[in-house]
Amino acid sequence: MKKILATLLVIATAISLCACNPKGDDKITLTMWCIATKSDSNRASYEKAIEEMGKKYPDIKLDWSATENEAYKTKIKTAVSGNSMPDIFFTWSCAFLGDFVKADKVYCLDTAYAKFANDLDAKMCKNTTYDGKKYGVPLTMNIVGLFANMDILKEVGYNDVPGTYKELIECCDKLVAAGKIPFGCAGKETWCVTEYLESIIEKSCGAKTLDDIFVNGATWDNADVAKAVDIFQEMITKKYFDPNGVALSNDEIKANFMAGKYAFYMNGTWNCADFAKTEGLNVKVAEFPVIDSSKSKLGQLIGGPSDTLAVAKSSKNAEKAAEYTFELGKLICKYGYLDGCGLPAWKVDYDESSVNALTQSVAKIVAASDYMVLFGDTAMPSEEAQKYLEFVAKVYTSEVNGKQFTDGLKAAIR
Amino acid sequence: MRIMTKRKFDGITIFLFLLPALILFIGILVAPLVTSGYYSFFEWKGFGDSTFIGIDNYKVLFKTFTHKNAEVPFLWAARNALILALCSLLIQLPISLGLALLLGKGFKGERFFLSVNFLPVLISTVVIGQLWKKIYYPDGGLLNTILRKVGYLKADQPDITWLAEKGADGKSYLLGSVIVPMLWQYVGYHMLLMYAGVKSVPPELREAAKIDGATDWQVDRFIVIPSMKQIIKVSVIFSVTGSLKSYDLVAILGTNKTRVAAVPSTLLMDQMTAWGRYGMGSAIAVLLIIMCFFFAILIGELFKDREKV
Repeated sequence: MKKILATLLVIATAISLCACNPKGDDKITLTMWCIATKSDSNRASYEKAIEEMGKKYPDIKLDWSATENEAYKTKIKTAVSGNSMPDIFFTWSCAFLGDFVKADKVYCLDTAYAKFANDLDAKMCKNTTYDGKKYGVPLTMNIVGLFANMDILKEVGYNDVPGTYKELIECCDKLVAAGKIPFGCAGKETWCVTEYLESIIEKSCGAKTLDDIFVNGATWDNADVAKAVDIFQEMITKKYFDPNGVALSNDEIKANFMAGKYAFYMNGTWNCADFAKTEGLNVKVAEFPVIDSSKSKLGQLIGGPSDTLAVAKSSKNAEKAAEYTFELGKLICKYGYLDGCGLPAWKVDYDESSVNALTQSVAKIVAASDYMVLFGDTAMPSEEAQKYLEFVAKVYTSEVNGKQFTDGLKAAIR
Repeated sequence: MRIMTKRKFDGITIFLFLLPALILFIGILVAPLVTSGYYSFFEWKGFGDSTFIGIDNYKVLFKTFTHKNAEVPFLWAARNALILALCSLLIQLPISLGLALLLGKGFKGERFFLSVNFLPVLISTVVIGQLWKKIYYPDGGLLNTILRKVGYLKADQPDITWLAEKGADGKSYLLGSVIVPMLWQYVGYHMLLMYAGVKSVPPELREAAKIDGATDWQVDRFIVIPSMKQIIKVSVIFSVTGSLKSYDLVAILGTNKTRVAAVPSTLLMDQMTAWGRYGMGSAIAVLLIIMCFFFAILIGELFKDREKV
């Protein structure tokens, strides 16, 4: 009797387990890791995109989780090391993904890309192309923008953002004379200093020169770069920058700008959404003016697609995951752009009238651009990027001048 | 034969009962320690191929003392951790002991003052970090405002940037600014440990001393403090090893990238996460463990000698 009861119990359990997933055999489960945590500004775009993907791909179940930015870097590297990567994973372009590609851990997306080539310009995949093969799906992209508080500029007689370098310097002098602080820059986070320095170098030496140094292995021993660094330090000496900035984080500097403490704030265009929705804040965005017109011109920008989704080579459903990732990336890009979290790396085939005016201004700047140099700390391998950041920090605290900066980086990197 | 079988059975039982703890001990403590030691001899990004480089990672760590030119300022970070440990011993623990002795006398509101002093221990370090960031905030922060009110900072003088690696005046106050909240946060913790020690002294001893004409200070000096030597030893070990392992407040107030106020743990995190040097990070971890063991044993020995005397 006991044996009969036990057998019946086993059968009942087996049936009930099968009933949990009636389509268990047909449905594919893909796993995805990303950095869109609940506090991340991109979270909503991920949620909307994944919901839409659920309807479009009923045969695929996406099991996704998000981890905070810095912790994620450790997590994904550990997973790559232990060959326990998810099917789809968030990554940064250039050197970060490049290391994984070199280790032969990433699935090549060339075949899947062919289906989406009409919607995604090949130049947007430049930062995730290695040896001519595509390995990443770009999401939104961002550039460095010169944000200006127009209420403060009006006080010194400006109705628009100064268009030339000469005008910008005149404007800064007037601001200092009026007891206003022109710029705020967070010394506690060196990447914020690079937003200023890289823009000044680019508009002094030209985008190609900077791109060659960051990506193509050109030497740092460049007199024009040294001169540009001196220009940046001269701006600091002339009290254009908040001296307290050396002790502040980016959040604090941004809050100060939004509170009207600074006239200008150079930072990523992901800030557009926050500025646009802050009542009473009258902000315009422009690109940093040209310093040496014989070497640079307007339309040369710092930034480009960096946020990327990639597929693990170890995925059992890599082919399916590749197609799914392109579709998902396109939707995340769409909703991210509509939310004002960045600019579209994909072609826009939907109504964008709801996008805030500030982001639309940036979109126009990007549309008119012809060269984008990716942020130095993203473009370079981690070891080089850290050495570069150390020298940038020393520039901001005036521990090295332009010549010492280029000499130091020449010795440390190239 | 039957006795042998029973003994064997008992042995197996004891082993089985100890097994879960043993697995946890090996899995959580021994294995990561051995793995860290192993990886410290490699140049490794955390994935992909690794290259055996012998003791090169250790050579880099011991190459330069100052933080300015060192590739990895480990010696500077170790020096900072030792300064913090010294401050804990000379400032934090005497304050804790003083409070414990005071509260141990049993006056009205004793519980209330005990809770108030213990409160910072209960607050998350992240919250404490943010609180002190507001205190140190250069423009309108509490500290600078007080300094202006009392006339230490004149109207034409710039704000003091307490949390800068290097301020506009060329000075750095970062290390001191980090040490103060670290000491403040754990005063209550050690006070509570010592308070338990004070309360465990039998009241008859105090009364006898009083009858013999001892003052309050003499009672504390010759009766109470010697009775709580073991608790003081535990506090000293916790205080020193805690200082060597310190991370959170330094990372919040100075970030992982700080050089001036670097401690071994911030260096470890920076090398691993930002630089992608897992081999170097492992070498720092190994040295940190050695330092903690060394000081824990040293303190134990020092107190042992005192006990013999």
